[in-house]
Amino acid sequence: MAKVSFYDQISKNKRNSFFLIIFIFGLVAGLLYVIGYLLFPEAAIFFLVFAVVWVSAQAFVSYRFGDQVVLKATKAEPADPTEHAYLINTVEGLSIAAGIPPPKVYVVDDPEINAFACGRGPNNASIAVTTGALENLNRSELEGVVGHEMSHIKNYDVRFMTLVAVFVGLIAILSYILLRSYLSSRGDNRSKAGLLIVVGFIFAILAPVVSRLVQAIISRRREYLADASSAELTRYPEGLASALEKIKNKNKGNMDVSEAISHLFISDPKISTLDSIFATHPPLEKRIEVLREM
Amino acid sequence: MLFGDGKVWEWIALIIVIAVLAFIAIFFSYYNRIIRLSNRIDNAWSQIDVQLKKRADLVPNLMETVKGYMKHEQKAIDMVTKARKEMLGASAPAEKMKAGNVLASALKSIFAIAENYPNLKASENFKLLQEQLDGIESKIAYSRQFYNDSVLSYNNAVTTFPGRWMAVRMGRTKEKPYIEIPDAERKVPKVSF
Repeated sequence: MAKVSFYDQISKNKRNSFFLIIFIFGLVAGLLYVIGYLLFPEAAIFFLVFAVVWVSAQAFVSYRFGDQVVLKATKAEPADPTEHAYLINTVEGLSIAAGIPPPKVYVVDDPEINAFACGRGPNNASIAVTTGALENLNRSELEGVVGHEMSHIKNYDVRFMTLVAVFVGLIAILSYILLRSYLSSRGDNRSKAGLLIVVGFIFAILAPVVSRLVQAIISRRREYLADASSAELTRYPEGLASALEKIKNKNKGNMDVSEAISHLFISDPKISTLDSIFATHPPLEKRIEVLREM
Repeated sequence: MLFGDGKVWEWIALIIVIAVLAFIAIFFSYYNRIIRLSNRIDNAWSQIDVQLKKRADLVPNLMETVKGYMKHEQKAIDMVTKARKEMLGASAPAEKMKAGNVLASALKSIFAIAENYPNLKASENFKLLQEQLDGIESKIAYSRQFYNDSVLSYNNAVTTFPGRWMAVRMGRTKEKPYIEIPDAERKVPKVSF
């Protein structure tokens, strides 16, 4: 039954979030240590201490303020109670259907039809919808889209996915720094560090690719579940199906957002050429088909 | 070693202790589950109640806005005012829900009549009120859905084994009633001019 899978998903997401934080912690601390070793081998231990402190702060900030970072990165503005009364009412209605407190509502000024959710869980969440979605979708379509985001919030996908966003961003920055420090390090430092450096170098090249792949795999599976849960909330799968159809026909896939957060959206904000492997979302045709068979 | 002198009794004792502990754990988890599900129904009802109250609060505003335009529709206006008063007077959930439905259909006829008054329809205040009342209408529908879902979970819990066994001991064997969807909401309201 759908209810059971909701609760399974919640505990799984909480557990995964915890392990992800631990994993990031270890990984980033290790990376920083290698960077330190390359640049100042004498002070490597201080680098390690600094790394642990810095990563702790980073993990805390991303857990506590990850949603703010994402909202800022997408230039989301709080919805106006008068102008966007329709959207606010829709979000509040679906939060009642899901049995969770109403999330904060934001609007992103963009002609593309899209939406995303972020936050730590049902008690601290935000939903953002583009102006394109408000202009192009009718009530039942908008309800379908908001229902999709609402289920990401209800089953703690948002917590895990916001952490993944920070993780992907962090890895990208660190591998860049690692490669730069490798290039600028002195030769004798390099030979002293030996195997560690080789591993670090390979890591710096592979990490961003692997983290993007992980992001894509993690995200794709969740989308079907969120689609199904949306249909459970609105009792009307066709609403979301027809919204996805409009997205398929009208969106150009050129939203100005970082790839690190693309898995938070209801449909890929950017359509890349490497679509099938790195796509954070299953093909729209497939999602529409699944919804119409419900 | 295992079956050597007296050892076997130690094992049996251990198994009994584990069984008793497991039994206690199951007992508590089902007890808590039934209580939690029952609380969820109460919470679901209060959600409906909040929305009904909000709607009743918006009605005087709407009537104030509408009055100036609809001078000859006193009957429809009186109907709404009366329905509102009845709803505020109701206390039992079923009664309240019923009065709420009467108010909903009275409001629907006001909005249907408003179609004939372009000036009213164009008024910003009226548009906002209409959106708020539409929103409340769908929130009531969603909270009713959540209520009925909660009732379903509760009823399943107290009628299936081993919840049933627990429910008997808690004196909670009675299934909770669902909220019926009124016929009026399935039909388009009839309006006489």
